[in-house]
Parts: sequence; structure tokens; C-alpha cells
Amino acid sequence: MTATLDTSAFGTPVEIGQISRELKKLWERENEVSTRASLINFAVYCEGAEAMRAATNLIFEFTKHHACRALLVGYEPSSPEASVQAWINAHCHLSRAGAKQICCEQISFLFEGNTQNRIPSIVFSSLDSDLPLVFWWQGEFPEEIDQQLWSWVDRLIFDSQSWSSPREQFERLNAIICANSRLTPCDLNWTRSLHLRQALAQIFDAPQHRSILDGLQHVSIGHAPEYRSTALLLAGWIAAQLKLNQQREEANGTRFIGSRGNVVTFDFKEVTGRSISKCCLASSDASVDLQRDPAGDFFRVAVHAAEGQVYNHLLPAGSNDTAELLLEEIGGGGKHRVYLRALPIAEALLESR
Amino acid sequence: LKTTHFSPETAGNPLREGLSSRPMPQPCNVVIFGASGDLTFRKLIPALYNIAADGDLPAALSVVGFARREKTDEGFRKELEEAARKHSRQGVNDELWASFGNRIFYHRSEFGDLEGYKSLAARLDQLDAEQNTRGNRLFYLSVAPSEFEGILQKLASVGLNKARPGSWARVIVEKPFGTDLPSAEELNQVVNDVFSEKDTYRIDHYLGKETAQNIMVLRFGNSIFEPLWNHRYIDHVQITAAEPLGVEGRGPYYESSGALRDMVQNHLLQLLCLVCMEPPTDLTADSVRDEKVKVVRALRLMSPEEVAQNVVRGQYAAGSINGKNVIGYREEERVNPESQTETYVALKVHVDNWRWADVPFYIRVGKRLPKGGTEIAVQFKSAPGVLFNRDEAQLDPNVLVIRIQPDEGISLRIQSKRPGAALRLEPVKMDFHYGTSFGKASPEAYERLLLDAMSGDATLFARRDEVEGAWKFIDLIEDAWHQHDSPPPLCEYAAGSWGPKEADSLLERDGRAWRRI
Repeated sequence: MTATLDTSAFGTPVEIGQISRELKKLWERENEVSTRASLINFAVYCEGAEAMRAATNLIFEFTKHHACRALLVGYEPSSPEASVQAWINAHCHLSRAGAKQICCEQISFLFEGNTQNRIPSIVFSSLDSDLPLVFWWQGEFPEEIDQQLWSWVDRLIFDSQSWSSPREQFERLNAIICANSRLTPCDLNWTRSLHLRQALAQIFDAPQHRSILDGLQHVSIGHAPEYRSTALLLAGWIAAQLKLNQQREEANGTRFIGSRGNVVTFDFKEVTGRSISKCCLASSDASVDLQRDPAGDFFRVAVHAAEGQVYNHLLPAGSNDTAELLLEEIGGGGKHRVYLRALPIAEALLESR
Repeated sequence: LKTTHFSPETAGNPLREGLSSRPMPQPCNVVIFGASGDLTFRKLIPALYNIAADGDLPAALSVVGFARREKTDEGFRKELEEAARKHSRQGVNDELWASFGNRIFYHRSEFGDLEGYKSLAARLDQLDAEQNTRGNRLFYLSVAPSEFEGILQKLASVGLNKARPGSWARVIVEKPFGTDLPSAEELNQVVNDVFSEKDTYRIDHYLGKETAQNIMVLRFGNSIFEPLWNHRYIDHVQITAAEPLGVEGRGPYYESSGALRDMVQNHLLQLLCLVCMEPPTDLTADSVRDEKVKVVRALRLMSPEEVAQNVVRGQYAAGSINGKNVIGYREEERVNPESQTETYVALKVHVDNWRWADVPFYIRVGKRLPKGGTEIAVQFKSAPGVLFNRDEAQLDPNVLVIRIQPDEGISLRIQSKRPGAALRLEPVKMDFHYGTSFGKASPEAYERLLLDAMSGDATLFARRDEVEGAWKFIDLIEDAWHQHDSPPPLCEYAAGSWGPKEADSLLERDGRAWRRI
């Protein structure tokens, strides 16, 4: 496999047992003009050479904003021979203060063949001590990996939008969460709707609009075909926060019942555009219509009040590219309790049309 | 400081949970008096725009500039857009500016013209209806204090100081909060006759700085410092605010103010309070400010003789900064050639409470010093030298330095064994830089403070009793300088030096020295 893999982006090849020594040498050389900084261990798991290169580019961008020790864990299961290789390099950026460069180190590993079970011990031995471990697991969670790995992880980042079998993956995720109380699950698919949730929350910060939530009858979400799971998480959030219970499928959508017996229907429409491009919450006499501006990074929000007035707002929507989602996620922190509340509802909705 | 309480309005929003750990700003009209002034263009509008770009500005908000000059809404917006493009920390997005700019209006009136306030009230009612701002009003007095009374009385005359039920009316006041205790009391009374204290927000932009906010986190969010944070372990504290700039065309203002009133009474005493205060019971505005007031009240007041002994005032003479010759203060434009105004002051201050008994706080501030920087240095008592470096007089003490600006961060000097067979100790520095560890640029102080005022969180604003307590302390020094028969001399220092030699003597006679910054 490595014969076809361009490893130049990963830096200097090193023996696995010599990583610490080689890093020390690297910093001795760099010390005059740069400062090493690290606040977290940031591990990235991905499969395939292309994904490794993309991850390295992303780590470079990431280190502009978050000082870290980056561990890139590449896995190539199709390789006939079992082997593990390592490289080290540094990502340096000029600090805002100007003079010295701020550098973060990246240790890259390529696991080839049947070596996935070696990943945990190599990750454990490469961590910067006393710093939290943020692990971005790209792709699906494997069944066979040593479960001890998860017990070391403080924040587990994944993207449920990319899963081919979400039901099975959510089950595995739930098992990981249940077994590791310290671990915070961070779904980039949840982060993807962050700006939208913030925009909706901001509209309902105004008490006079809250009657729409109190008398909510219909929620309509428009999403790109491949972002149905994002829409389901958004619906799960609305239902969980408004304490709605799912009842059944109906012709015009999925029916929920509120705590006061009110019926709320949710419908999901596939539309072209970016992830979620439309969300409408309506009561009998008022509504909030949120549309993503296809040309820009904004939501256009129209509040149709019961008295007939229309209030228009322009709110930031973010760009939703992977780098930005990652930065939002790491910058935001928190335990994602609201996500954990929305998740079971979204899982149940996976069965709906 | 992230407060743990939420405004009652947003607390009832079920969709808000988990999305913000700070009180959310509420829909409102922001009225800026003195809207054609420098502060509006350089700070206030760029700050509001940046809050909008971060998605934190209330969906319903309008800004009304109130000033004397003739302008249209459109002309005002255009001027502000140009200023925002120059001063906004994240640039300007055309589309967002179009949306934000459309919410800015200009209201032309003399400050003393009652009709102008009547039409302002009508305009705000109209904006409430159009923009859904719900009768909430935030009045920003970006004008000279001499204008406060007239503006506030006119606001009261047309009832704009009284919010409708369920709404609020607040006022933000810029420093200086008076020039001495009587004028501060009078000014506060003028403000509080019209707005209650809970609706009065006195801006001290130092408190909006990230590092100033971090002082409480450093002290009370870490268990290693607080046990040592008292007279048993701390030898002394130095607070420095140095700048290489002169008065930069602000001669008339500076002539009536001087370094003591301009910097010490507000910014540096606020920093002193954050260093000295006891842990508050919670992070609500009054809990924090109650603790700060206790520090102000514990400041040891000085007699004229003690002022002569513990305070050094200086004025810069011609010299050179960064290789360029610069003129002396008395040669500056619109400055009295025989001016007695201090451009430098160094003080030795005591906080008379149990925690800080006999711990001196050395404060210095000056213009035309070799380099700029504001920092707090906490110097711990030296470890006994019986084991190491016995031939040396004393081990270098540990020093914890909190850099407020620039290069915000914290450093700790500790002793370390020098490599080699001999047992020799060397001081080394552990250094934390905000810019290195957190790539993201901190928001401007005004962004944080405007957000807080719109959210009803007054934690980072000075309360009346803090301000008046500080003036009580400062006035005794001013009186000793200007009212006493034999005032201490005004010492001269060359521009580009670290201040008068008398300031060095202030510490030398205690066996100490100013830190090199």
C-alpha cells in the first residue's frame, strides 16, 4: 500500500519506539524561532490514503485555532501485510503577537492490514500527558476495537450524517456512551444545525413569539436528500425541548402529542440546497419561517405575528464545511445533554418516511 | 465571567437550553448621545456590528444616533459603514451590513432642546412598533459629563427614563465619573435622580478585557493560588500601566485630569479590587461588586504627610522614544507651559484588612515611558535560603504576572536547578500567552460590555459606591498636592525613561525594586 501512498505531507518518518526522542530533536531545532503549544490531544481516525491527506490539511487549519498535539491514525485494512508506520511533523503559524511562530506537532500513523487492534496502545503511548483527548472518528464505529480506547476519550467526535447504517451505529454509540461516563459524544451532524438552532432560539427569546411554541401545530423541515439525519436530529431537538411525544405516522407527517394534549405534526421534505435549507414552525395564527439564503451564509427569518405584522431578520448561518464544524464543536465545549435528549427521538424517526 | 443566572425573559425559552452560557441580550433600541463622536465610529458601531456578525445581537434591535450635526439616516449609515470597515475586528460583510445598517437611524437635535426629545420619544415608539423592540431602551451617554444633567433631565421630562411595564430603560455612562468625590456624588445623583442604580451602567473598559475577567477565574477557579493569596505568602504586588504615547492632542482634557484621575481612580483601582477581593458568594453583579467595594473601603487613607511619603508624581520632559526625539509635556499643544499636571504617578497603597495586612501594593502609571503594557505582578515571599545558594543573599522570589495588555497572558517565575554537578539555582519562567494557546481573537471590550448592558448584567460595570469610594481615596492625594501648604514636588523625568528616580526610591527604601516589563 505505502508504495502508492504519498507520505510527504506527514513529515519525517520515524520508528515507533523513537517518537518522543525524534519530537524532542524536532523542537530543539525549531526552538529559536517557534514556540510549541498544546492544550489538547487531538486524534483523528480515518481510512485510506486520501482521507489521511485530507485530514492532514484539516489538522493544519485546526491548529491555527486550537493548540494541540495531533495524532493522525490512518487505517488501510485492504493491505495484505500487517505493518505500522509513523511520521512526525509540525504545523506552524505566526502568532497574533507577530514575532514567534506557534507550532503544533502532528504524529501520523498508518496501520496496514489486520492491525486495528494495535491502535489503542499506540494512541495511549503517544498522548501529551494531562491534556484531554479529543478523538475524531471518521466513518463508522467498528465492533471489534478494544473498548478500553473509549475510556480514554474525553470528547468523541463523529458525523452521523456519513453513516451508511445509522441505526446500528447509534446502537454502538449508545453502548460506548453508557460504558464511559466521562466521554462526551460530539456529533458533527448536530453541530451542523447549531446556527439554525441558535437562530430559532433567538427568535423565541422574545416572549411575545413564544405563543407559537405554546400553540405549535406544525413543523416543516426542508433538507437536502443526503441530510435527512440532520433534519431528524433537528426535529428531535424541537420535540425534546417542547416535551412532545411521538405518536404515529400520518398522511401529512409524523404526529406528536404535547404535554397538554395538543397535536403537532412534523413533515420532512427533500429540497435541493445545503443541509437544511428551510424550517417552519406554525401555530394556528402565527409562524416562524426560516430559509437559508442559497447565495450567502445567512438565514432569512420571517416572523408572521398573530396581529398580522411580519418581522424580518437576517441571522448568520455559518458555512457548515467540515473544518468550521470541527472548530465550532471544539470551541463550544459542553456536555451535549440536549443532544442526548434529542437523539432517541431522532432514532425513532429513522423509521418514519 | 460567565454568569450563571439568565434573564427572566430568555429563561422561559425552551429552545435556548444548551445554546448559551451567558444571559442573552434582549430586543431594544440603543440610543447613542454624541453619535457623531469618535467613540461611536471607532468603538460602538464596530462593536455592535461584530456582535451581529457573531449572531449574538437580538433579532429585534435598532440604533438611534442623537447628535447636533445635520445628517440624514442614509448619510449617517454611510459614514458608519466606512468606519466599521476600518475598525471592525472581523471586517464587514456587505449583506450583513445592509441588514444591520438598515436598523441604524439618525436623530438630529441639540442636547438642550426639549422638542428634540419629544420627537425622539415618538420615533422610539414608532421603532418599537416597526422593529418589535418592545419598549426596551438603552441610552448611551457618549458625551462630556457636563452634558449629562441636561440630557438626563430632558429624557425624564419626556418620560423616556421610565420603562413601560415589562420593559426596561437603562443608561450607560462613560468615564470620567466626576473629577473628585463631590462632583462624582453630584453626577451620580444627577444620574440616579433619573435612572435607578440598577439601571445605571458605568463603563470601565478595562473590566471588559479578557485578562481582567480572567483574574477571578485564575484566583477562584484554581485551587493552587488562593491558599497562598494573603499576607503570609505574598510580599508585595505591583500594578503597572505604562504607555509610550504622550497626550496625543488631548492636552486640554489631560490638563484637567492628570494620570491619577485619568487612570488610577478607575482602571487601576478596579484591577486592585479584582486582585484583593474575597470570593463572592455567586457571580451575580451585586455579589461581585459587593466584594470589590469592601476592598475600596479598606484602602488606607493618606494624610498629606503620608502622601508626600507614599506617592510620587512626575511630568515628562523632552527625551526620545524608539529612537525619535519627543517634546516635553509642557511643550505639547494646548498645554499650559507652566503646567503642574502629573503624567506619571507611583503610589504605595495598603489594603487594611486581614488578608492583606502589611502587604504593600505599588501602583505606577505613566506616559512617555519606554514601552507600553499593563500588568499585575504578585511577588511571593522568598523561600528560606538555608539549603540552596547559601552564598547568595536571598533566593529570587516567585512572581506571578498577569499581563492585561498587550500580549495577554500569565507567567510564573519559579526556581530550578541549573544542569550540572553543582547545585545552583536559576529562576525560570512558565509562560501562558492567550495568543499562543487560544488562536481566536478576543472580542473587543466594548462588545462584551454592550452585550452585558443589553442583557441586564452589570457585573463588569462600576457601581456608585465603588466610584465614590475610589474618589474618597484619590481626593486625599489630590488635596495634598494642590491644597496643602507644602505640597510634594512634581518630579521631572525624561521621555523614554522609566519615570522619576523618586519613584525608584519609593521601593528602594522598602528593599524592593520595580519590575522590568
